[in-house]
Amino acid sequence: MNEMPIIRLYRIIAFSAFFAVLSIFISGCESRYEDLDLSVYQYRDTKDLVKFVYDASLVLKKNGLKGLQYFRDNRHLYVTPNHYLYIYDMNGVNIYHAGMPHLEGKNLWDLTDKSGKKPAQMAIAALEDRNNPHAWVHYSWWEPGKFYPVPKSSCHFKVRTPEGTLLMVGGGLNYPLEEKEFIRIIVDDAAQLIKEKGDSALSEISDPVSQYNFRDVKVFVFTPAGKLLVSPVMGDSLTDLKLLDCVDEMGHKPFQKALLELRNDKDSVWEVFLAKNRYQRILVKKSLYLRKTYIAGQEIYVGAITDLPQPPG
Amino acid sequence: MNAGQKKYEYSVNEVPPLAHLLLSGFQHVLIMVVAIGIPVIFAGQMNETPQFTATLVTFSMLASGIGSIIQALRLPYLGSGYLCPNLCGPSYISLTLSAAWIGGLPLMRGITIVAGVVEMLLAPVVQKLKSVFPIYVVGLVVAMVGISIISISITSFFGLTLQGDAIRSIDILIGAVSLLIMVFCNLWGKGFVKIYCLIIGIFLGWILALILNPEYWINLVMVKNTPLFALPQFNTIFKPITLHLNLLIPLIVIAVGSTLKTFGNLLAAQKFSEPELDKVNYIPIRNGIVADGIATALSGLLGAMAVDTSSSNIGLAGATKVLSRWISVVAGAIFIVLAFFPMLTNALALIPKPVLGASLIFVGCFMICAGLEQMLSEHWDSCKTFVIGIAIIFGLSTSFLPPLYARSPKIIQTFFTDPLPTTTILAVILNQIFGLDKSYKKIRDKFKTQKIFATNTENGGK
Repeated sequence: MNEMPIIRLYRIIAFSAFFAVLSIFISGCESRYEDLDLSVYQYRDTKDLVKFVYDASLVLKKNGLKGLQYFRDNRHLYVTPNHYLYIYDMNGVNIYHAGMPHLEGKNLWDLTDKSGKKPAQMAIAALEDRNNPHAWVHYSWWEPGKFYPVPKSSCHFKVRTPEGTLLMVGGGLNYPLEEKEFIRIIVDDAAQLIKEKGDSALSEISDPVSQYNFRDVKVFVFTPAGKLLVSPVMGDSLTDLKLLDCVDEMGHKPFQKALLELRNDKDSVWEVFLAKNRYQRILVKKSLYLRKTYIAGQEIYVGAITDLPQPPG
Repeated sequence: MNAGQKKYEYSVNEVPPLAHLLLSGFQHVLIMVVAIGIPVIFAGQMNETPQFTATLVTFSMLASGIGSIIQALRLPYLGSGYLCPNLCGPSYISLTLSAAWIGGLPLMRGITIVAGVVEMLLAPVVQKLKSVFPIYVVGLVVAMVGISIISISITSFFGLTLQGDAIRSIDILIGAVSLLIMVFCNLWGKGFVKIYCLIIGIFLGWILALILNPEYWINLVMVKNTPLFALPQFNTIFKPITLHLNLLIPLIVIAVGSTLKTFGNLLAAQKFSEPELDKVNYIPIRNGIVADGIATALSGLLGAMAVDTSSSNIGLAGATKVLSRWISVVAGAIFIVLAFFPMLTNALALIPKPVLGASLIFVGCFMICAGLEQMLSEHWDSCKTFVIGIAIIFGLSTSFLPPLYARSPKIIQTFFTDPLPTTTILAVILNQIFGLDKSYKKIRDKFKTQKIFATNTENGGK
């Protein structure tokens, strides 16, 4: 009977030791991705791709051009059903392609996708974009042996090897899910362009092959009175669209609400609304992002709309 | 009596020893924390501030805690007196979100209060349902309550947070190991191990997840940045409450669906708590729906998400045979206390999804099988085959084919929303239609008996 308190004491000591070790582990836990801000992404697919490309860029940064041989010898590690790794020089010459080795050595600077976008040029330009820390570009590609276009979103890192060579390391997601960050980047870029170039930026923004338009996403521009400078729907000026009065499927006025918030000293705002899903016609949540900018001293708004990540099930 | 043959570990009115009471209450809280994600998702979709999110979570936990307590206390005309805790249910989330977009927090509060009132008004009707809910339909409803958690349990088991996102093999392994631990503890464990199989499975699964996946470590480390104690912004309680007539019709439809779900949950709770009953006792069920309505209205007053009875917790009670209603009181009290300790709540909310998925599958098994057992316990005939078969086929189709219902006529869209209410409504209607011949025979026999009785009386009189 006297053994019971001793057994209890041992149990308490054992549990305390276990939790002490656990808390040491927790407090001492560090990730090699601490320099990489992944908090802006919502999907695992996107985070995994950024980490995958970042890891490859570290290999090149450390081992230089010798790293290329490592990638060639371990090609299977850099191809998955969802994404693969590629490396270009800054002139658009493909140096390594895990998924399509036959492209290696070719200059793909002028290669165009089905809508006329030039992925290599877009990616190299994105590397210089401060609004776009992981140099995202969106285009369509294809899968080896298949004949239909595959939508892609790719991220890139610029690497200077120990030999002094500048390279672009990238990887693209097949059939990507839309991240809010993707539209944040293009809207902020469009607002910046308007600030710098004024009216002449509008034609570039409305150009279907520019970075400001991809898949179902389209950057649009309007004045505080709701007058459209670049339309979110029709390209024709004859369409009489009163954005501020537009309602979603529940009767909610997202533009009106967003503008009210922008008038309260905010530069940008996110607004949620309900719309019909393109294929299934069920209601899905969408997200509107608006940023304030100026043309010739007049306040205007730049925006885009994307699908909001849906809960599973 | 052998432990394996025991009907209960703790029966519905038994008060377990303090340690068991606390540990069992905590075991139920571990299931209830799954629902903390709902106000967080809601606030995220509203692009609200972290402060608003924290307040919404706190008030939702308070409403759930109070709801759990009044449901179990068995006050006069209030509360079923079963172990049937409350949590933020997904039933109202779409409507609440729409209300919040259109009219902000005042409208969200308004519709939540009205939903609670509608539920309370529907409660007395339940007592009149004796003839429309034969035992085999009750069994179907109980089974459907279990089936209704399939979606959330499987997506959680695979570690999925967002639709269409990547699934990791490591998460499947963590989920499978956790589930097996729970099942083995329940099958082969005795005493402590059997009663606390869920806690054991959750904590061992959590430790495994921390070892195998660094992401879970990193998330847990972030908890240290959360304050240990925090008070919510009570000023929201004094803000105005509004209503929007356009939302009343969808609100009533959803409130009816939610009442049916609560009805199903309470039937399941009764089945586990009082298996000796040969027919449904509708009084505790009516009182339970009133309590649920009050909890929903209270959540509206507080400015919280609408709360609902929890199918998973009833499944856990059935699985462990620990059915004491006082455990619900303790779980509610723990939930209320946790509401003021964001660090602890956040830590519990970080239980890996595959582990939570495993626990939901574990409790779902008991719900589904208890319902099927009850359903098939009666003599079976072709009429029942068609009632159950058609109701299940159409009910489950709402989950399998949502795009089909999105294109269907408005009247179909209104009633074919979700497997549980759709199956229940169809089963009740079909049972009446297919049983018309029996009803006719009953009326005819009754009429004949009355006629014979009248003739005999007349002859006797002569």
